[in-house]
Amino acid sequence: MSQTYDRGTVEDFGRWREFKAGMWAWLFHKFTGWVLVGYLFTHIAVLSTATASDPTVYTQTLSGLEELLIVRVLEVGLLAVAVFHILNGVRLLLVDLGLGLENQDKSFYASLVVTGAITVASVPTFLAGV
Amino acid sequence: MATHYSSFERGGITWLLQRLTAVFLVGVLAFHFMLLHFVNHAADITFAGTQARMSQVGYFATMWLFLVTATFHGVNGVYNALVNQGLDGTAKRAVGAVLTLASIALIVQGTRVALAMTDLL
Repeated sequence: MSQTYDRGTVEDFGRWREFKAGMWAWLFHKFTGWVLVGYLFTHIAVLSTATASDPTVYTQTLSGLEELLIVRVLEVGLLAVAVFHILNGVRLLLVDLGLGLENQDKSFYASLVVTGAITVASVPTFLAGV
Repeated sequence: MATHYSSFERGGITWLLQRLTAVFLVGVLAFHFMLLHFVNHAADITFAGTQARMSQVGYFATMWLFLVTATFHGVNGVYNALVNQGLDGTAKRAVGAVLTLASIALIVQGTRVALAMTDLL
């Protein structure tokens, strides 16, 4: 049997001051989602160099980008964004299935901690050979 | 306390597709990142290496499905976010049309790129 859950006005961004875990999870999921969809369009644009008749255009474009420190740093940021979106997405899927709503704040904090740990552990791999 | 809570209205096909694509993308996005940043470092990627991977039927099919599902999930997510912010009426229909066209363009271009990367054809 379903019951109602008062989540307040979704559109009111001023609610961030309440420091509710669910609100931050909602904001972070939106933010990381916008970043990922923006990256998807950019990613296909860069990979479009593969359609050039000369295959070295693709190879040189990718290696040229990877030589830039800012690109490596942005890649670490992209990993953080992707990992959080994945972990929080699993949390949302479970909540949608009716699992873990009572612990949704704890699962959000867990998502943040695991995202932070994976991101920090990945820094040496991403910055190697710049 | 609620026993069931959902972010979106239930019953619609896009609601279901958003969640089904999410399940697929959780695995494939993680696989993509692992393969192209940790197994093969991004700086070492060459056209020949990309072509070797994309010329395997299973890998090609997975990557093409990745393109289609990510485009749907991402663009539909943007649409849902805008509707949550109160987008309505003509503006809602116009935004929906623009996002649909952008999705089609991305999938067409992504497919062209995928085909250029393979020697399957």
